[in-house]
Amino acid sequence: MSNGALKTSPVHDRHVALGAKMADFGGWEMPIEYPGGGVVREHTVVRTSVGIFDVSHLGKASVRGPGARELVNRCLANDLGRIEPGKAQYTLCCNDTGGVVDDLIAYLRADDDVFLIPNAANTAAVVELLAAAAPDDVEVRDLHEDFGVLAVQGSKSDEVLTALGLPAGHEYMSFVDAQWEGVPVTVCRTGYTGERGYEVVAPWEATARLWDALLTAAEPYAGLPCGLGSRDTLRTEMGYALHGHELTPEITPVQARVGWAVGWKKEQFWGKEALEKEKAQGPRRVSWGLLATGRGIPRAACEVRSGGEVVGVVTSGTFSPTLKQGIALALLAPTVAAGDQVVVDVRGREVPAEVTRPPFVEVDVREG
Amino acid sequence: MSDLEYPEDLRYTAEHEWVRSQGNGAVRIGITSYAQDALGDVVYVSLPTVGDTVAAGDACGEVESTKSVSDLYAPLAGEISAVNDALDATPELVNSDPYGDGWMYELRLEDDSALDGLMDRAAYQSQLG
Repeated sequence: MSNGALKTSPVHDRHVALGAKMADFGGWEMPIEYPGGGVVREHTVVRTSVGIFDVSHLGKASVRGPGARELVNRCLANDLGRIEPGKAQYTLCCNDTGGVVDDLIAYLRADDDVFLIPNAANTAAVVELLAAAAPDDVEVRDLHEDFGVLAVQGSKSDEVLTALGLPAGHEYMSFVDAQWEGVPVTVCRTGYTGERGYEVVAPWEATARLWDALLTAAEPYAGLPCGLGSRDTLRTEMGYALHGHELTPEITPVQARVGWAVGWKKEQFWGKEALEKEKAQGPRRVSWGLLATGRGIPRAACEVRSGGEVVGVVTSGTFSPTLKQGIALALLAPTVAAGDQVVVDVRGREVPAEVTRPPFVEVDVREG
Repeated sequence: MSDLEYPEDLRYTAEHEWVRSQGNGAVRIGITSYAQDALGDVVYVSLPTVGDTVAAGDACGEVESTKSVSDLYAPLAGEISAVNDALDATPELVNSDPYGDGWMYELRLEDDSALDGLMDRAAYQSQLG
């Protein structure tokens, strides 16, 4: 990105034609919101019906060869022994101090074939680290611009996929390979909204056609194209971590409360020693939700105080379109507990907030 | 931008605010169609307090969308004489009716003639490019 040029998704011309507001996401020019939608309306349509997102900026990488599964398992944090081929897993790529280089989804295809979806800005780093650790017969390839990814999210997502003849209804965190108009696609029951939904991985050159077909299929349900603005408010309502905010090379999974994505019993993974030590000692700060009880919207980097003392900092904050209140995720001192009343310094104004455990809204992402 | 409107009878500022003369030395102030479109869905508006005195250019409030925050600047010197309390419960009026029900506050001007120093529609539109 040294020349400042942004990469564009295979659906870019569709976004431009729709008049989307575009912005830089990890070096990619992606839609924030669409005219006729807007963040609140796009958010609401996902919570009530269905929305279609282009998330082709997400990375894609393959790890192939004898021992591919073993390589990923001894490097990344989660335990690939917990899942079978055909299942996907949320996992973490940690550094030696236990900080998070990236959080990503691993699709276990076979013992010799693992497909990864890292964050856009971290893909090259993850690929480089894995390639350096790989034995000669395991190949790690960056396929960032070989595949597009479209997310179909909301209670009507099964109907939309079925209308295209695509598989739907499979178990949460499982994937199914299929053919769509002669091209191979993978439909994975994953998402970043908290709603029932799928992410469809398609060949780069077929992604725009698939986008058109999904939007048409969503019309009977008043579905909308949704930008990354609403994706962010949706994930914040769920308390899902966003790399660069809740997870960074300086923030560990123990602090961010994603220790459930760490295979503690494994013999090795990157950062194991540091993380075990931190877990035993107790983290010096922990991620919480903050629900603004006064008027105002906490934002990233706002200081959090309790009884006049600084107890932490906001990592993400926004307006919850569902609750119509300010919500935030914050790293707070271990002395803070659920139900505590704190204040957030929002540009010099004190906004009272209650400490909670996310999600902020009730959803049924796993429901059969 | 072609579908955004800028009424002829208003004055404008470089901060994308509009100013409407109410007669008798008072003006009503809001943000332009361009500003509300750039912000996106407005979800929170923080307004000054009636009776506050402001100098031209003072930050006197905030408009927030889901994704960003913008300061409101007093376009002229004077005393805050009214605020639009409806924006507490329905901030989306700033998007749906920026020159009408989405107005922000009223100012009793220190100097009536200062209004003439603000941009007219043509000048504002030309700076939008």
